[in-house]
Amino acid sequence: MFDYRAFVYHRMARIAPKYLPFADVATDEVPLSRLLRLSLFQVTVGMALVLMAGTLNRVMIVELGVPASLVAGMLALPLIFAPFRTLIGFKSDTFSSALGWRRTPFIWKGSMWQFGGFAIMPFALLVLSGYGEAIDAPRWIGLSSAALSFLLVGAGMHMVQTVGLALATDLVKEEAQPRVVGLMYVMLLFGMVIAAFVFGALLENYTPGRLIQVIQGCAVLTLILNCVAMWKQEARDRSRAEVMFRRTVTPKFVDHWRQFIRYDGALRLLIVIGLGTLAYGMVDVLLEPYGGQVLAMSVADTTKLTAVLAGGTLVGFGYASMTLGRNGAPLPLARAGIVIGVPGFFAIIAAAFIGSIVFFVTGAFAIGVGAGLFGHGTLTATMRRAPEGHVGLALGAWGAVQATAAGIGVALGGIVRDIVLYLPFVSSVSDETPYVVVFAIEAVLLVLALIVALSMRDKRIRTANREIVNSRTPKEPKNIKMMGKGREYGSLHPTHPRPQEVS
Amino acid sequence: MNESDLNKVWPTGLTLREAEEVHSYLIDGTRVFGVIALLAHILVAVTTPWLG
Repeated sequence: MFDYRAFVYHRMARIAPKYLPFADVATDEVPLSRLLRLSLFQVTVGMALVLMAGTLNRVMIVELGVPASLVAGMLALPLIFAPFRTLIGFKSDTFSSALGWRRTPFIWKGSMWQFGGFAIMPFALLVLSGYGEAIDAPRWIGLSSAALSFLLVGAGMHMVQTVGLALATDLVKEEAQPRVVGLMYVMLLFGMVIAAFVFGALLENYTPGRLIQVIQGCAVLTLILNCVAMWKQEARDRSRAEVMFRRTVTPKFVDHWRQFIRYDGALRLLIVIGLGTLAYGMVDVLLEPYGGQVLAMSVADTTKLTAVLAGGTLVGFGYASMTLGRNGAPLPLARAGIVIGVPGFFAIIAAAFIGSIVFFVTGAFAIGVGAGLFGHGTLTATMRRAPEGHVGLALGAWGAVQATAAGIGVALGGIVRDIVLYLPFVSSVSDETPYVVVFAIEAVLLVLALIVALSMRDKRIRTANREIVNSRTPKEPKNIKMMGKGREYGSLHPTHPRPQEVS
Repeated sequence: MNESDLNKVWPTGLTLREAEEVHSYLIDGTRVFGVIALLAHILVAVTTPWLG
């Protein structure tokens, strides 16, 4: 008799794995196409950043008539979550999953939150601005729902980026990490630029309906891109799952944090990242008004200035990717980034006194190159130094410091300028003084960062340090090939039954 | 069927625990979607009440 059950099992066992979201085995060499696909999560993060900080900032104030201070408060909400990146990274390191997964569940959850925040955001904003019948609704509905939507997007964004970067670190070998860092940065910039253009074009003729379409379209796109990004990236691993399952002690964040921070230079690296990012973050918002007010440049010229800054950053990234790809050390590059930045700031300050636009543009370009080198160097250093088992925690700490410093830098740049401008005991302040004060502060911050950075030891690719916290990872049989310096393990079991086993 | 296959579910060949975990992500997702949809409907009802 025809054994239809065996036949059906046979067929289904061959077809079904295609529709499961995990990679069957950890592969030795991750092809560029797969890394490109993974980096799509950075595009959604860039999209969210532009939508909140750029597009909605304007739409809420101009079109919806929400008070500027309230808008600033709402947009600052996602920043609250930045420090929690450390915790998210830690959670993903110690996650217990039957599939042996550590990262994918978090990317999925983060995507859901990001999607959910965008899905309710347009309605929340319309209620907040008192559109239609909402004018009679109690105030708290609009306030709380708008706050909730920004919080959701912020939390989701931080989660996706932290865990996504940790996954990228897991996937590739140490030699390939600089390339991945470059790719991730470029995709973030790419997402931001494209999103800025598209949102700008779509919202040119603003209507409430168009606002809903744009933000919800962004929500759907986020979910789709993130699903494409994480599909079949992380390998299923039954031996790791077994270790996770047998673990009896619940890992404590404090213990792991202490272990991580004691680890050679981790704290100093975080301080360098914080100081440097703060300095480079403050300059972004002030370059254009400085050019316009002090050097009397036109709007078109100052817009080009931002392009010069971004171009410099890309040059920095490119050079860093090239050098690090040839087995260079990341820390000297980060230092070079700081060293280039300091004269850049002095050139900008000097430009005000001699009225030289050439000085100004050169300074802006130098600052861009410095920021690019610094960003690439510090992230690569973080990845390389991340101890085995603490990859998520290390990248979480990087993200927490980086995002917090960048956010504070943007806010602080404006605040310090305004404070100097309205100092009570100064009767008349010239145009350039407040800017010069801010730029000088930035140069000082960079010098401080350089001092800390110089006290750190350089490391090229090293393997010994990983062994320190290696005790938690499973011991594998000799014949199983170890991947990526012991980070990924080949699966112990054949993932799917061979057809002849089915009977 | 093989002995090692006894705690596996078909057609995927996952073990029971693995299958339950994959399922839990689906359930979580559905819950979040549900809550978000509910919230969105309430907010739309506040701006343009369609129930009266």
